[in-house]
Amino acid sequence: MKYLNTKIQLIFVAFAVLISCGKPAEHITVTPELFHESVNKVTNIMIHDIFSPPVASRVYAYPNIAAYEILAQNSSEFQSLNGKLNEFTPIPTPADLKEVNLELAALIAHMEISKKLIFSEDRMAVLQDSLYAQWETVNEVEYNKSKTYALNVVKHIKGWMDKDNYNQTRTMPKFTVDTDDPSRWQPTPPSYMDGIEPHWNKIRPFLLDSAAQFKPERHPEFSLEKGSKFYEELMEVYNVSQDITKRGDKTEEIEIAQFWDCNPFVSVTRGHFMFATKKISPGAHWIGITQIASKKANSNVAQTVNAYTKTSIAIADAFISCWDEKFRSNLIRPETLINQNIDPDWLPILQTPPFPEYTSGHSVASGSASVMLTELFGDNFNFDDDVEVPFGLPVRSFKSFYAASAEAAISRLYGGIHYRAAIDNGLDQGKKVGHFVVEKLKDTK
Amino acid sequence: MAKRIVFIFLLIVSCSKKQDKTLVEKNIAENAPFLTIDASVSGIDFSNDLIPSGDLNIIEYLYYYNGGGVALGDINNDGLDDIYLSGNQKPDKLYLNLGNLKFKDISLSSKISQDATWSTGVTMVDINNDGFLDIYVCKVGKYKGLKATNQLFINNGDNTFNEKAADYGLNFSGFSTQASFFDYDNDGDMDMYLLNHSVHSTHSYGNSELRMKSDTLSGDILYENISENGNIKFIDITKKANIYNSPLGYGLAIATSDVNNDGFIDIYIGNDFHENDYLYINNGDKTFTESSAEFFNHTSRFTMGVDIADITNDGNLDVVSLDMMPYKTDVFLKSGGEDTDKVNQIKKSFGFQQQYARNHLQINNGDHFVDAALIAETHATDWSWSPLIFDFNNDGLNDIYITNGIYKRPNDLDYINYLSNLDFAKYNKTSQDTLEQKLINTMPMINLPNVLFQNNGDLAFKKTIVDPNNTSSYSNGAAYSDLDLDGDIDIVVNNLNEKATVLENKEAQLEKHNYITVNLLEANKSLNTNGAKVYVYANGKQFYKEQTTVKGFLSSSTRQVHFGLNNLTAVDSIKVIWNNGTQTVNSNVKLNSVITISKENTSKYNYKIQPKKEFTTFNYTHKENKYLDYEREGLIPENLSIEGPSVVQADFNADGLSDLFIGGARNQTSVLYIQNKNGGYTIKETPDFLKDNKYEDVDAIAFDIDADNDLDIYALSGGNDFKEGDPMLEDRVYINDGKGNFTRLNSNLLTTNGGSVSSFDFDKDGLQDLFIGNRSIPGAYGLSPFSFILKNKGNNSFEIVEKRRFGMITSSEFVDIDNDGFVELIMAGDWMPITVLSYTTEGKFENKTTQFGLDKTNGMWNVIKVSDFNNDGKLDIIAGNTGLNFKWKASETAPVKIYLDDFDNNEQLDQLIFYNYFGKYVPFASKDKLVQQLPSLKKRFTNYSKFSNVEKLEDLTEKPASEILETKYIYELRSMIYVNNGTIFTPKPLPKEAQLSTIEDVLIANNEILFTGNYYGFVTELGECSSNSGGVITLSENNMLNNVKSLNLPKDFSGRKIVKLKENTFLIVSNNGKSIIVNSEK
Repeated sequence: MKYLNTKIQLIFVAFAVLISCGKPAEHITVTPELFHESVNKVTNIMIHDIFSPPVASRVYAYPNIAAYEILAQNSSEFQSLNGKLNEFTPIPTPADLKEVNLELAALIAHMEISKKLIFSEDRMAVLQDSLYAQWETVNEVEYNKSKTYALNVVKHIKGWMDKDNYNQTRTMPKFTVDTDDPSRWQPTPPSYMDGIEPHWNKIRPFLLDSAAQFKPERHPEFSLEKGSKFYEELMEVYNVSQDITKRGDKTEEIEIAQFWDCNPFVSVTRGHFMFATKKISPGAHWIGITQIASKKANSNVAQTVNAYTKTSIAIADAFISCWDEKFRSNLIRPETLINQNIDPDWLPILQTPPFPEYTSGHSVASGSASVMLTELFGDNFNFDDDVEVPFGLPVRSFKSFYAASAEAAISRLYGGIHYRAAIDNGLDQGKKVGHFVVEKLKDTK
Repeated sequence: MAKRIVFIFLLIVSCSKKQDKTLVEKNIAENAPFLTIDASVSGIDFSNDLIPSGDLNIIEYLYYYNGGGVALGDINNDGLDDIYLSGNQKPDKLYLNLGNLKFKDISLSSKISQDATWSTGVTMVDINNDGFLDIYVCKVGKYKGLKATNQLFINNGDNTFNEKAADYGLNFSGFSTQASFFDYDNDGDMDMYLLNHSVHSTHSYGNSELRMKSDTLSGDILYENISENGNIKFIDITKKANIYNSPLGYGLAIATSDVNNDGFIDIYIGNDFHENDYLYINNGDKTFTESSAEFFNHTSRFTMGVDIADITNDGNLDVVSLDMMPYKTDVFLKSGGEDTDKVNQIKKSFGFQQQYARNHLQINNGDHFVDAALIAETHATDWSWSPLIFDFNNDGLNDIYITNGIYKRPNDLDYINYLSNLDFAKYNKTSQDTLEQKLINTMPMINLPNVLFQNNGDLAFKKTIVDPNNTSSYSNGAAYSDLDLDGDIDIVVNNLNEKATVLENKEAQLEKHNYITVNLLEANKSLNTNGAKVYVYANGKQFYKEQTTVKGFLSSSTRQVHFGLNNLTAVDSIKVIWNNGTQTVNSNVKLNSVITISKENTSKYNYKIQPKKEFTTFNYTHKENKYLDYEREGLIPENLSIEGPSVVQADFNADGLSDLFIGGARNQTSVLYIQNKNGGYTIKETPDFLKDNKYEDVDAIAFDIDADNDLDIYALSGGNDFKEGDPMLEDRVYINDGKGNFTRLNSNLLTTNGGSVSSFDFDKDGLQDLFIGNRSIPGAYGLSPFSFILKNKGNNSFEIVEKRRFGMITSSEFVDIDNDGFVELIMAGDWMPITVLSYTTEGKFENKTTQFGLDKTNGMWNVIKVSDFNNDGKLDIIAGNTGLNFKWKASETAPVKIYLDDFDNNEQLDQLIFYNYFGKYVPFASKDKLVQQLPSLKKRFTNYSKFSNVEKLEDLTEKPASEILETKYIYELRSMIYVNNGTIFTPKPLPKEAQLSTIEDVLIANNEILFTGNYYGFVTELGECSSNSGGVITLSENNMLNNVKSLNLPKDFSGRKIVKLKENTFLIVSNNGKSIIVNSEK
């Protein structure tokens, strides 16, 4: 009786499969578009959840690496990053390469790791659930096998990720403000937030030997003496901003400053009434440029994942390098100094972000990303940057990645939030990180 | 079928719930102190309706939802107070009181202005001395299309008015809040303070020096009333009188009263936001001195309303100022609360005073105020506007009525962080109007029932939700008066988008209580008696009120002065002290009536001016090193690195005079003071002290370590800034050569964060043994460090007898408390009970805390001392605690709980504290603080609404309470005496005055208990404890502790140690500055 039942069920299942498919199961196809969609989802959730720039850079890197490593299991073009990435061990291999759709597994792993890193999981689940349901209908067996494999890899990557000191740095001491030292960073208006991520240099870098590997040249010695290099740079910030303001809202400089603002949380206060305008982070902007370039170059899935992975590593290590310097030099922001010493009513064009001044995070990240993208797509790769369009900003066109990074860097001077040294030395620091990453990864393709 | 059953069951459940609710509502209604008179009966149909537009809304004008005011006064001298209601976008209304709580709208016939300009505060005053009340109305003009000048309606005596502000020089146009009329120079006429408010949003706190700037629209103005060819004119004397006229003032509240009782009227200005509240003390020479820092330790932050009256019946005027702290736990957890510790620090560095976003109840001690709102539990009534202090039940004690509610609640954290987000596209391209409309529409609303705090004396208040028929109001201005002349006080409230309410007093106790109402007149029958002081004497009791009308918010109340007399059956006399320093005494008073007293038959009154307090200082100033523990441990409630100084009194040089050793903070050298024959002290330089100045001496004792008959010093090192085992935490012994020369003993001592050291020869071998009680494991607040009982083995060496984790110890003492010949070791500290260990015949110490009945005494103990307080031959324990004037409340049934564990497995201890907040448990740390320490919570609480329901540990962590490392409790926050009944101790709290702040040290001398306190180490969320620097409790024969006298100490003094220097003379050493010598007699 029991035997019979099982048999009937089997027949029934087979019948059902026949009905639903009508023909042998087709392969689940994964397009580069789906990867872009997953990356964009991460970007959007990060805007909602409010991630600071260094933390955002970490959130991009791990899902990409998971996807890359899965694709590298069977790729003539790209080799595993094993042996390159710090403390990384090889991911599990699939039991049977023929049964697992690696592109599918890569995408699943990307979404699963992303979900672990962002806060509002339900927002990721919306995309995930609809794709999973779709794939399950197309080819349940392939989907399940690929997903099982993906989740194995996710577990492995998560084990590695959890040891990067992120959790430990959450509860380390806050940055201590010492108001007796006139050069030392102080919280800035209007929210006077604590210095963000004072221990980011303790995060395990992806490729760098140490956070201090590309320690930039020291900033001009702090001095409020007229004629000193530092004072001149302080006055430059003030004068440039006064000049721009005088010329009105429509100047190229204001456009550039706003285009590259990339501040995830700008608080606006009207009496008791407060609200925030949110945007993407500097890293997210360059991830967006990576997407533009991949599309323009008609990259396939593997090439797309390769570009995302290497650019996000270059950006993440750039932030570690930059934050190491920020909390080494602990330099005061121009807004504080100008309000104290020059003009109590002065407001920078951009809102000063809550961490020390030197070096400029956007400059370091842009420098590093532009080196990697040039390596991937070539120099003089012109593109129309429409990443900020959803935020009401125009499209800007660049003749190369370097041209874009140079503009991103100088935008911080126009915005009134950085001195010249932080921009020039920051860009230089970023390019050094970028070249190091390129060099380190050159034999993976 | 099953489904249907469930469905029915659900229906039943929901039905019964609903029934419960109606029952509750009905109960409230039956006990309600006030009855709302329906508009159809009262005739008051005014409703302050707002219609936001693109030009004018909460975004364009920050005080858009502040509402309108109420003025009550008798405009036609028929004995009945009439009603003026101001409207923002509606014309103002004037109602004539017809008696029996019926009113007639005479807005049109009276010819008061019926345009819909933006009215704010309204005041009734007899400006032209004709015996008829005129009306001054404040306006917002010259702003965003609002055009208006302040108006003065002169009463023609026939229920009609003419607007004549310009004639009097009072036609100001700007951002006015309220005007108060009072006689600032005692020359017999009413001068005017015009309170204006700033409208700009500050980007930064900037410098407090901005106060010195002038602003013609938002700066306050003081006008002097002068007679010019027989005409009354008001001239601007702001600058000359030292009144700030700056754009920094967000003036929302004004009250004018003689707070220092010197015969000159002072001014309290309540400012919103970061600007301090001002207290202008009248110098008596036509100038003022802003003195809030001198009179207050802290004030409310977003001050919205204020009233001044005597709440404690001690003849001093107290101040109530309102703020916005929510009392419902869910609203509390999702609203922006106190500043972070860092922002608090930044504001102080910019020159702003300490402010807390909670209501304040500032009790006047004569020359300064102390806030008692937390002990009185009047601190949280949510977004509150109008405090009115009056005796609503005629029991002789002033009660407090509070209006509250905000039409749009912009401090909702979900709103700020998630809902209000504009992406840049819309911010730049959508039309500003549409955008703002969307922003405003998504802003949460909160309507609240108004609150009455019934004064039961001794700083105890009973909170009643007023007016059950109208619990969902947004109430702003309010004023009081006995509108129906039935001998009790009624209230009129101006509501937003709802009809104004007339509340008839229906308090049941009224029938048992007597009253007297006083109506004051100038000699020329004018009504300008504001500021006159009225004293009612009855059966040895004194009741005091000042006649003031402008109080609460945007409003002015009746000019009649009403006294409840409880069950007193006769008034002996009424004394009125007029502004010009004369008095009229009336001893022919009929109870339960309105008595009119004119400024006649006057005699000179002499104010007793108290001399300014002076302090005798001692040549020691404690300097704490800067270290902020909470920057390392984000969830802790207090800083542990501001302990000390240690003080030891002993005769070190064997000359028969006791000397002093004071142990310094880190980087401060300890000092040895040798007493001279004449009673003075000379510092004796000690090279080893200088060498060791890097140590922080948290406690020290004098004891004879080597049995050579002189006193050596054990200095206990501490500080929460180094890890255990760090050489900077090593204790030290200084050996005395018998002449007071000390050299450090070369030996290895403990390297822990010390708390308390005591010595005693417990094994009776002739050598002094030691107890080293430790304070904390640095970096792991909450956990108990090892403490040590050490046996002195001779040759300056010690053996560990006991090594146990007793708690976070602050105080200890060896004493044979049960008189059995074996010594006890008594100790206390944070999150622990008063712990008693008995020395046993086996040479061990046995914990007898439970046997002594002290097991549920866990507190935040700062000090314990032992003495026989009731002269019964048995030693009692006195213990200094945090006191009751504290945000946390604790009891045996609702303790404060601290859960200690590494919840996120990052090798750092996390402290999750829960406390009972108005009946429900809440987490102590805000969501923002918690997610920084426990990042996984970011996933669990993706918004503040989810967080607002957290009430227990399981809501925050997967780990059940039973599995975590350690849980500790606080059951007791009061400072106590534990009376020894032979076998068990019974608790007896110290009097209320001694519970106003922390008690850090006590000293028992001549049937008196001297105590000193105040503590500045709590995080901003808990706030500074600064309401009692120190006092003396007299022990009367029947063991009563009711007589508390304050010691002559600075109001912000943080006392740590009391030492008796000679008879009645004591040295009190402070943690935050100069040490003071006090005389307990004075």
